[in-house]
Amino acid sequence: MIDGNKVIDFHGHVGRWDQYGMIDDPALLLHAMDAVGIDVACVFDIFHPDGTTGNDLTAQFVARHPERFAGFAYVSPLMPERMVTELIRAIDELKFVAIKLYPPYTPWPLNEPQWNPIYEFANERGLAIIFHTGPEPQSFPKFVGDIAPRYPHANFVIGHSGNTPVERAQAIAAAQANPNVYLETCSTFRTPGVIEQLVNEAGADRVIYGSDMPLMDPRPQIGKIITAEITDDAKRQVLGLNARRLLGI
Amino acid sequence: MTSLNFKPRVPVFDANIRVGDMHDAPSPCRDRAALLAEMDRHGVDRAVIYHAQTESISPLEGNLFLEAWLGEDQRLTPQWSIMPTAASMAQIQTLHAQGRVSSVRLHDTRTAGLPFRPWAYDKLLAWLSAQHIPVWIPLPNADPDELVTTLQGHPDLVTVLIGAHYVHHLQIRPMLAALPNVYLELSRYEPVGEIEALRDEFGAQRLVYGSWYARYAMGPMLFYLHHTDLTEAELALVCAGNLERILDA
Repeated sequence: MIDGNKVIDFHGHVGRWDQYGMIDDPALLLHAMDAVGIDVACVFDIFHPDGTTGNDLTAQFVARHPERFAGFAYVSPLMPERMVTELIRAIDELKFVAIKLYPPYTPWPLNEPQWNPIYEFANERGLAIIFHTGPEPQSFPKFVGDIAPRYPHANFVIGHSGNTPVERAQAIAAAQANPNVYLETCSTFRTPGVIEQLVNEAGADRVIYGSDMPLMDPRPQIGKIITAEITDDAKRQVLGLNARRLLGI
Repeated sequence: MTSLNFKPRVPVFDANIRVGDMHDAPSPCRDRAALLAEMDRHGVDRAVIYHAQTESISPLEGNLFLEAWLGEDQRLTPQWSIMPTAASMAQIQTLHAQGRVSSVRLHDTRTAGLPFRPWAYDKLLAWLSAQHIPVWIPLPNADPDELVTTLQGHPDLVTVLIGAHYVHHLQIRPMLAALPNVYLELSRYEPVGEIEALRDEFGAQRLVYGSWYARYAMGPMLFYLHHTDLTEAELALVCAGNLERILDA
């Protein structure tokens, strides 16, 4: 909690990526989360295209501290026959609360039809999907603006808000044009004024704090929000209120 | 206890601020008054500054542009950029004779065909070492083998490695172990728990706070450092004391 407000981190990973120091040790994560008042971190495992392997690891991770972590389902169109059945399992049996997609691990831009069964499922269930976005050709945020109007009952979260300036502008435009598009904040491109730009141009009700933990420590990432020149009310929305509304937690 | 607003509780001396425009990126901070206002907003007392034009255009001309930022109040300490050419060394030697050199900065020259190898840099590094002038070296674009091999030939030279990112994760520990006079600046080093882990392994005296503003926002890493389990004495060292010691040498 920060000043009485529940804080949710919308972007976290399960799995080790040792070459980059990404270690999914719950004790490490909880230590960092507790130091800055993060109540719940949303986590997913993007390293297994079958979905099942990573989702099971995520479920085991969440089960160790179910009050502190929430699972997101991961599937990939690299194994299209498994996508919907795995989503049904992850949401209904593993009790995951949203979906994570990672277009750079596939050949397909996120507005290609290979992804449609996932969007249709999210639309039917009223779920949120968070995408990795950035300058990779599969991951342009403008593609989220293409798909969002077709699935009005789903919510789409643009991870990293595009990461770099050109793509950030696409992300903001997508959020401005679509009420079901949100902007997530994690990035090591901690350019001055980015949080202010997202809030001022898309609205504080459309920006969501995330850290990319444990690839990045959540403390400097939440520090971006705390030290930004935005109102305290905007900080409350970004740090938790918007995520709670999307996830129903 | 985390709050929606943050101010540091120890004196802060930022080791790494870039002023002025890059040739391909105007700075959001337009002048000395704006920089001081930004420092005041984040509770930063003093800063080491270098000019953006020195990075990839001209250390000599960029150093001249730096003069306009300095003022009389001692809050901004100049860091002169240098390269292994006669003209550049003559400029720095003149400034040194005037008592105006407390540190220098070496930008990447590999992209221009000059590797960081002893045959190219020994003369410059030997002079810096003899004059007890510490040198800042950016890790992005640096070749780690060249860095370690060449710096090992100058064991008394104090070096601050800046801009480490998670992509440098595997390099950091071997470098700090191989080069006892190397310090790590923390502007972009975010793997989870790494500040505390490096403190445990190498001591807080090897870590230096820098923001690399205006490349990155000034506040997030300072916020992070204040939410680690560093002791107050260690925090004071990282936020200012280590840098003061390095510059006073």
